[in-house]
Amino acid sequence: MIRFVSFASILLLWAALAQLSDPRHLPGPLPVAEMIFSEARSGELFLALGATLARVAASFAIAMGLGSALGYLMGRCRIADDILDPWLVVLLNVPALVVIVLAYVWAGLNEAAAVGAVALNKLPGAMVLAREGARAQDPALDEMAQAFRVSRRARLRHVVLPQLAPYLAASARSGLALVWKIVLIVELLGRPNGVGFKINLAFQLFDLRLLLAYALPFVAIMLAIEVLLAQPLERQVSRWRLDAARHRD
Amino acid sequence: MLLDIEIDAKDHVDAAGVARPVLRGLRLALARGEAGAVLGPSGCGKTTLLRIIAGLDRGFSGRVTLPAHSRLGMVFQEPRLLPWRSVEDNIRIAAPLARAEEVAALLEAFGLAGHALHFPGRLSLGLARRAALARALAIKPDLLLLDEPLVSLDAAMALSLRARIARLIDETHVTTLIVTHDLSEAIALADRIFLLSKPPARVLATLDVATPRRLMTEEARRELTQKAQAALADL
Repeated sequence: MIRFVSFASILLLWAALAQLSDPRHLPGPLPVAEMIFSEARSGELFLALGATLARVAASFAIAMGLGSALGYLMGRCRIADDILDPWLVVLLNVPALVVIVLAYVWAGLNEAAAVGAVALNKLPGAMVLAREGARAQDPALDEMAQAFRVSRRARLRHVVLPQLAPYLAASARSGLALVWKIVLIVELLGRPNGVGFKINLAFQLFDLRLLLAYALPFVAIMLAIEVLLAQPLERQVSRWRLDAARHRD
Repeated sequence: MLLDIEIDAKDHVDAAGVARPVLRGLRLALARGEAGAVLGPSGCGKTTLLRIIAGLDRGFSGRVTLPAHSRLGMVFQEPRLLPWRSVEDNIRIAAPLARAEEVAALLEAFGLAGHALHFPGRLSLGLARRAALARALAIKPDLLLLDEPLVSLDAAMALSLRARIARLIDETHVTTLIVTHDLSEAIALADRIFLLSKPPARVLATLDVATPRRLMTEEARRELTQKAQAALADL
């Protein structure tokens, strides 16, 4: 309820400010909504959202998959950590924009370069968190699994992943927010479609109505993923913690 | 012999790289169906011995002989249940081959039927130990290893778990090795008691219990206690 009131107050503030200012600098909620509907009717909006979402999904999956696996390896194996740590430090400190420009120059203005550049930006963050998670694994449970000769697969599923879950969840949530913002930059710099491309167009036309009509639906989608997918999943995974706190006797 | 151990030397290396001898020339053997108790003061290397038998510690010289493909049921001092899996799932994960009715029977036998679907965080230490014991039995072990199974339990709980373990050994004849610092516990549970020396530990003396568990008499208990104390006094 409080969240709803807070959200409504943002809308009201927006409407009030729009009343006071030049519509070219700040269009109100209603004109933007009209624009969203007209773009939706023509199908343009969904094409752009779809293209951007596909890029977000692909680069997120690559970065999370590869980054978590490498990070876990670094946390468990000293040699891997020694080898990969300098790479990690470099990756962590190269600005996103530099990676994107280099990717476009070296690989050309294509989809692989775009998705790869975004994934490369998220990769070190995923590695750092997975490494922390791997280091925090309880050796007592490892030994238990070893003593009972639990299979590699079952060990991963029942011993390793549940301990890694909070780290992966944090990595996924911060990663999703980072990835979609970088995807927009990649699109703005070198893709012929997607939300970022439309925003570039709106910028060139100084059409803030168009800009907001593409930006807001995308924010809404990312918010929905967070609320409908990420949060329930996190609750499900940490169910045992709450249960233990509630019922300890 | 089911279990035959000859550990020539086992050292612990501390953070500074200094080696401290823990076990030296330790010999110990256990026949199939026998229950042995390893008795020694805290910090004498008993847990290290169990870890070596369980294959968790390979940094020693000597040998541990067990029949090929032996299944070891380990009960650690802390129960080491997976807190994010229900009690029943904990058992199934350790013993994927156990049938559903076998798991149910074990839970029933250990008074855990009402807790099958609970997370281990809800269990008291006594219940969690029982769950860990049920898990070790679910794999139908050739050798059951118990590390201080009664430590940190209140007196009543310790007595009841002790009786339960004694009954289990009498009924199933599972070969068992118990590690404990408590002489009365060793006398109440074992067929054979191995008295360890101070570190570096070796077996000082072996006491055979002629009247184990339910056959134990007050007189035999007194006699064993005296013998053990005499052997330990020679140190």
